[in-house]
Amino acid sequence: MRRKLIRVALFALTLGAAAVRADDGDPPGFVLSGFGTVGAVHSSQRQADFTSNSFKPTGAGFSRNWSPDVDSLLAVQGTANLTPQLSVVLQLISEQNYDNTYRPHVEWANVKYQFTPDFNVRVGRIGLPIFMVNDSRKIGYANPWVRPPLEVYDLVPLTSSDGIDASYRLPIGAATNTFQVTAGRSDTKSPQSGGGGASVKARDMVTLVDTIEQGFVTVRLSYGRGRLTIDVFDPLMDGFRQFGPQGAAIVDKFNVNGRLATFLGVGASYDPGTWFVTGEWGRLTTDSIIGDNSAWYLSGGYRFGKFTPYLTYARTKVDSKSSDPGLDVSGLPPAVAGAALGLNAALNSALGRRTDQDTISLGARWDVMRNVALKLQYDHIRLGADSTGLLGNIQPGFQPGSNLHVISASVDFVF
Amino acid sequence: MRANLLLLKLASLAAAGAILSVAAGWAAADVVAVISAKNPVTALSRNQVVEIFLGKSSRFPDGSQAVPIDQAEGSAARDEFYTNFAGKSPAQVKAYWSKIIFTGRGQPPRQVPNGVEMLKVIADSPGTIGYIEQSLVDSSVKVLGP
Repeated sequence: MRRKLIRVALFALTLGAAAVRADDGDPPGFVLSGFGTVGAVHSSQRQADFTSNSFKPTGAGFSRNWSPDVDSLLAVQGTANLTPQLSVVLQLISEQNYDNTYRPHVEWANVKYQFTPDFNVRVGRIGLPIFMVNDSRKIGYANPWVRPPLEVYDLVPLTSSDGIDASYRLPIGAATNTFQVTAGRSDTKSPQSGGGGASVKARDMVTLVDTIEQGFVTVRLSYGRGRLTIDVFDPLMDGFRQFGPQGAAIVDKFNVNGRLATFLGVGASYDPGTWFVTGEWGRLTTDSIIGDNSAWYLSGGYRFGKFTPYLTYARTKVDSKSSDPGLDVSGLPPAVAGAALGLNAALNSALGRRTDQDTISLGARWDVMRNVALKLQYDHIRLGADSTGLLGNIQPGFQPGSNLHVISASVDFVF
Repeated sequence: MRANLLLLKLASLAAAGAILSVAAGWAAADVVAVISAKNPVTALSRNQVVEIFLGKSSRFPDGSQAVPIDQAEGSAARDEFYTNFAGKSPAQVKAYWSKIIFTGRGQPPRQVPNGVEMLKVIADSPGTIGYIEQSLVDSSVKVLGP
């Protein structure tokens, strides 16, 4: 699928480049552009890694004292306008992958047809518009912060979907209403503690987004759903299946595979130019072993010329139960009861992995040149009781429920 | 000694002159939004102008298609236009378009190198909208907004 996407997109881009030579009028036939971030992050917690999303295998703290892997990336995008209506986009990103390589991947590869200035349809790999800045979460230059608040953005760490999307813009009075529907699927890999990657599949994904803009105000509502398949829980579920109807009931209650996960989000921002305030709330319901989470953040900043200090508060909490009695071992023969207790322990360990945390961030963006912004950010992260928060690579000596400090410095650029 | 004083006086005069001419330059560079004199549209609010330039709207109030034209990046007229009309600094405009471009949602307006070129383009095509220094305005275009 990926190779095919690249081939189709490259072919279309070549056509676009040829179109430039044929007709050098407007719009420009072919545009090559890109963006990137060079970042370094330090965390005071040495028994775990601070990462920018759950697909990163290492980060700051345990793996590195100062980690370049948290935020650094380079992206190149080719846009070919074949006709005034038809365009093709290919975007490649090199960033730390689940397997700790920087092998570039196709972030987006799609063909867009602009039926009218207010209505377009795209087919291919498309940005997933689940949060306010989800499809631009990797474009540091486009955002005020070093990175969007993880508490909310890690609820759904996916950034793209393979399928189709349609966007329709409708002016209502002085406001502009944009309605977007996306349908597709996604295949990603998340890092595993022993190395390698665990497959994370999302099928039948549908996202509905409504964005209302009037003057300095933007309000956004989003709903998403999809069926997840995550390999890592298969052995555990297979284990429970050995225990007859009792086991089957537990599988039915906690198995994530094929079950519908839903997301609901609300966001709003006010940006009159010299200052801004923005906030989002979201809830992910999986009805399975990975649990249900809700999160929100509120952020504001003031622009003193090229200098924009900002303050953010973000919080995420687990809404589902963190334990379950599991199999009833009282009627089981001793040899089997041991195995049942093992399964119960594994289930409760997964349910008990609390991601509750909150963060206060203080930072500043400095627009040092027209294409370059420098950012410095301090995060004070407090983990909830018994929680490991959004940290990865948890080490045996780690104290759940502790606090940590994170310092991030980055250079964001576009070209 | 006397020669030194004279030099100092001259230097300060030159400095004052430079400051004055810069100030005059600013005053003369008042940027206005314009459409072709052939365009039937008569009025457009500042907000409507901004929405067209930021790609949030693609139509004039009468429903006809509106095509925005930008001056070159880094030009004084462009920076002044976005500061005065949209309340956005050059960096904010750049960040805004970075988001649109790299999410595949659109492309920024087509660019012309300067105000003289823009006047020509706007005058010739009724569907376009642009901005030029007040001093360049002639009967081929209509001034909109402040």
